[in-house]
Amino acid sequence: MDHLAQLMLIAVSAAFINNFVLHYFVGICPFIGVSRKVDMAFGMGCAVTFVMSIAALLSWTFTYFIGRPGAPLTMWLWRLVAPGSTAVLDLSILNYIIYIFVIAASVQFVEMYLRKFFPPLFKAFGIFLPLITTNCAILFACLEIMKHVAGAADPGLVWGLDKSLTLAAFGGIGFALAITIMAGIREELEACDVPKPLQGAGITLLVAGILAMAFMGFTGVDRGLETVIFGK
Amino acid sequence: MTSQGPTAAERFLNGIIPENPTLRQLLGMCPTLAVTNGVKPALTMAGATAFVLICANVITSLMRKAIKPHLRILVFTLTIATFVTIADRFLQAFMPEMSKVLGPYVPLIIVNCIIICRCEVCAAKQSVGIAAADAVGVSLGFTLGLGAISVIREILGSGTLLGLRVLPQAWPNWGIQVLPPGAFLTLGLILGFVNWYSGRRAARA
Amino acid sequence: MLTTTTVLAAAGVMLGLALAMCAVLGWASRAFYVAVDPRVEAAGAALPGANCGGCGFVGCNEYAEAVVAGADVSLCPVGGSSVAAALAAIMGIEIGESAPRRPVVHCAADHAMRLGRHEYRGEQTCAAANLVAGVQGCVYGCLGLGDCVRACAYDAIHVIDGLATVDYLTCIGCSACARVCPRNIITMIPFKTDRVLVVKCSNKDFGKDVSNVCKVGCIGCRSCTRLMGEVFKFDQNLPSIDYNVYDAELDVSKVIEKCPMASLVWVGTPTPRHRELTENEELPERVEADFRTTVDQAQWRG
Repeated sequence: MDHLAQLMLIAVSAAFINNFVLHYFVGICPFIGVSRKVDMAFGMGCAVTFVMSIAALLSWTFTYFIGRPGAPLTMWLWRLVAPGSTAVLDLSILNYIIYIFVIAASVQFVEMYLRKFFPPLFKAFGIFLPLITTNCAILFACLEIMKHVAGAADPGLVWGLDKSLTLAAFGGIGFALAITIMAGIREELEACDVPKPLQGAGITLLVAGILAMAFMGFTGVDRGLETVIFGK
Repeated sequence: MTSQGPTAAERFLNGIIPENPTLRQLLGMCPTLAVTNGVKPALTMAGATAFVLICANVITSLMRKAIKPHLRILVFTLTIATFVTIADRFLQAFMPEMSKVLGPYVPLIIVNCIIICRCEVCAAKQSVGIAAADAVGVSLGFTLGLGAISVIREILGSGTLLGLRVLPQAWPNWGIQVLPPGAFLTLGLILGFVNWYSGRRAARA
Repeated sequence: MLTTTTVLAAAGVMLGLALAMCAVLGWASRAFYVAVDPRVEAAGAALPGANCGGCGFVGCNEYAEAVVAGADVSLCPVGGSSVAAALAAIMGIEIGESAPRRPVVHCAADHAMRLGRHEYRGEQTCAAANLVAGVQGCVYGCLGLGDCVRACAYDAIHVIDGLATVDYLTCIGCSACARVCPRNIITMIPFKTDRVLVVKCSNKDFGKDVSNVCKVGCIGCRSCTRLMGEVFKFDQNLPSIDYNVYDAELDVSKVIEKCPMASLVWVGTPTPRHRELTENEELPERVEADFRTTVDQAQWRG
C-alpha cells in the first residue's frame, strides 16, 4: 500500500506537477512543431509514451546492472581481476552513450515491429518515430532514472524498475496531455487575428507560457498527497 | 569534397545573426528555455555547447569519407555523446555549482538539434576548416541568443546581472521570469520583436 | 589497475552491446520483413516529394503506392509530364503528352467594375458571404474575401482590388484554390503553352441583367461562338473554351477584338515583349487583405 502510494506520487508528479514539457522544457521541438492538429498531437503523444517506456526499461536495466558505481556485473568483473580490493569499479561514464544507443535501437525496432504487425497503427504514427530518436524528452526520462539509480545517495534509495517505468510512462502521458491541449488551443487560434510578427512560433510560445502558468497551479499537490496518504 | 558554397569566413558570419540558431532557425529550444533564468548559467551552457559543437564538427568532418549514409545520424550522435560526457565531467569537476544549476541540461546537449543539424548539413560535406568556422559562428549566434534572453530574465526576475545588483532593492522581482512560464513568454516576445524588426527592414529594402 | 580495468571494461561493454544490438536488429529486420514492391520505392523516388496533395492523395508516398496499385500516372501537377513519363516507365505503360494544369479565375471584375456592392460586415470569408444576398450585384463572380488565398500553401494567389489573381510564376498547380472556392469559378486548365486564352467570366445571365451588375461581365452575345464555333462552346449564356481543341497556333485575335465586354483574356506568364513594355511602368501594389488569420506557414525544424 505504502509502495503503491509512492508510485502514485511519482506518477502524479511526472504527469502534472513536474510536467516534462511545461516544467522541464524537454520535448519543446515536437511540442511546437507537431501540435497543430489534435489527432496528430495525440498520435505523437502516444508514440512518445510508448518509446519512453521501452527506453526506460532498457536504460534502467543497463544502469542498474552496469552503469552505476558498485553495480553487480561490474563488481563481479572487478572481483575477478583484483579480488581483495576495496575500490569500486565505476562504469557510469558510459551512461549517456548507452542511452542514446538504446533509444535509437529501440525506436528502430519498434518501427519495424509496427510496420509488420500493426500497419494501420504504423500509418498513423509511424512518421513520428524517426523524429523521436533525437527527442530530448526520451533522453530526459532516462537521465531522471539515472539520477535516481546511479546518483542515489545511499543504496537503499536506488530506484527499482517499477518506479522507473512509472516515471517514464506517466512522464509520457504528461507530455501527451500538454501537446494535445496545445493542439486544441492552436486549432482555435486559426480563427483568430494574431499580429503578424507573432504568427507561428511567437504566439505558440506565449500560449505555452500561459499553459505553463496554469500547470504551476499543481505545485504542492504532491506535498498535499503525501500528507493525506502518509499522514505526515 | 569542398563545394562551391560559402567560404569559411562567410559561414562564420552567417551563423551569428542571419542564420541565428535560436532566433531564426528556432533550433535548440530546450536549453534556451531551461537555463536562461540567469546570465551565468546561460553563458556556461553556451560555452559547453560551443565546445561540443566545435569538436563534433571537426571530428565529423575528418570522418566524413568513412561514414556510410544510412548510419550517419547514429555516428554523429555517438560522437556528440562522447564529447558531452567529457564536457559534463569537466563541469562537475571544475565548476560544481554551475553543474548543479545546469543539472540534466548538460547531457541534453547530446540531442540538441543545433549540433546534429550542423553536423548533417555542414560538417559531413565540408573540409575541416570550413566545418570549424561554421561551428564557431553558430556557437557565437547561440551565445547571443541565450545571452539576450537571459539578460532580460535575470534583470526582471532578480534585479541582478551576473550576480551584481543592477536594479534598486525596491524592485519587486518578477517571480514569473525565473519560473518556466517566464521563459516561454520572454522567448515568444523576443521572437515577435525579431520578426517585426526584420519585417520592417525587408519592407524598407 | 582500476583505471585500466575501467577503460577495458568500458570498451568491452560497448563492443558487447553493439554486437548484441546488431544481432537483435538484424534478426528483427528479417523477422519483421515487410515485402514492399520495389516499384513503390522507385515511384516514390521519381515523385517530387512536395506532398502538396494535388494528385488527390495524402502525400507523395501514398500516390506512389496508388500508382503501383494502378492509379493514373499523370496526376502529379508539380512534376508534370516529366514525372508522368518517369512513372509510366516504372510501371511499363505508355502515356500520351500531358500539359500542366494551372488554375484560372473566371472573373475579371475588380471592385471598380462591380456594381451593386454593399458593405458586408459578416464573417470575412467567401464561403460565408456566398450564403447571404446583396454583398455584390453579381451572384456568380468573385467575392474577393480570400478563401483561395488562405487555401494556397505556396503564396501563388492574391486578392488584388477585390479580385483573386493567380501568380503563374509561383503556382505549382495543386488545385487547392479551385477546390475551396465556394462559387466554383476557379477551374484547372491545361496550359499547353505559357499563355492561354480564357473566358474571364462566369455569369450565366443575359444582356441587361449582366451589365446591370458588372461593367465587364459576359453578356452572352455569342460573337465568339459564331466566329470560332469549334473552340467556343456556348451553354447558358456563357461561352467556354474547349481545351482539347484549343491550340496556341490558332489565330484568336479577331474573336478577342469582337468581344464587346473584353471577357476573353490571355492569362499566364507575361511574354518577354510585355515584360519589356511594362518595365518602366508603376504596376499596382499587391494589396494584402487586412484581416490576417494565423494560418501557420512556419517551417519547423525544432
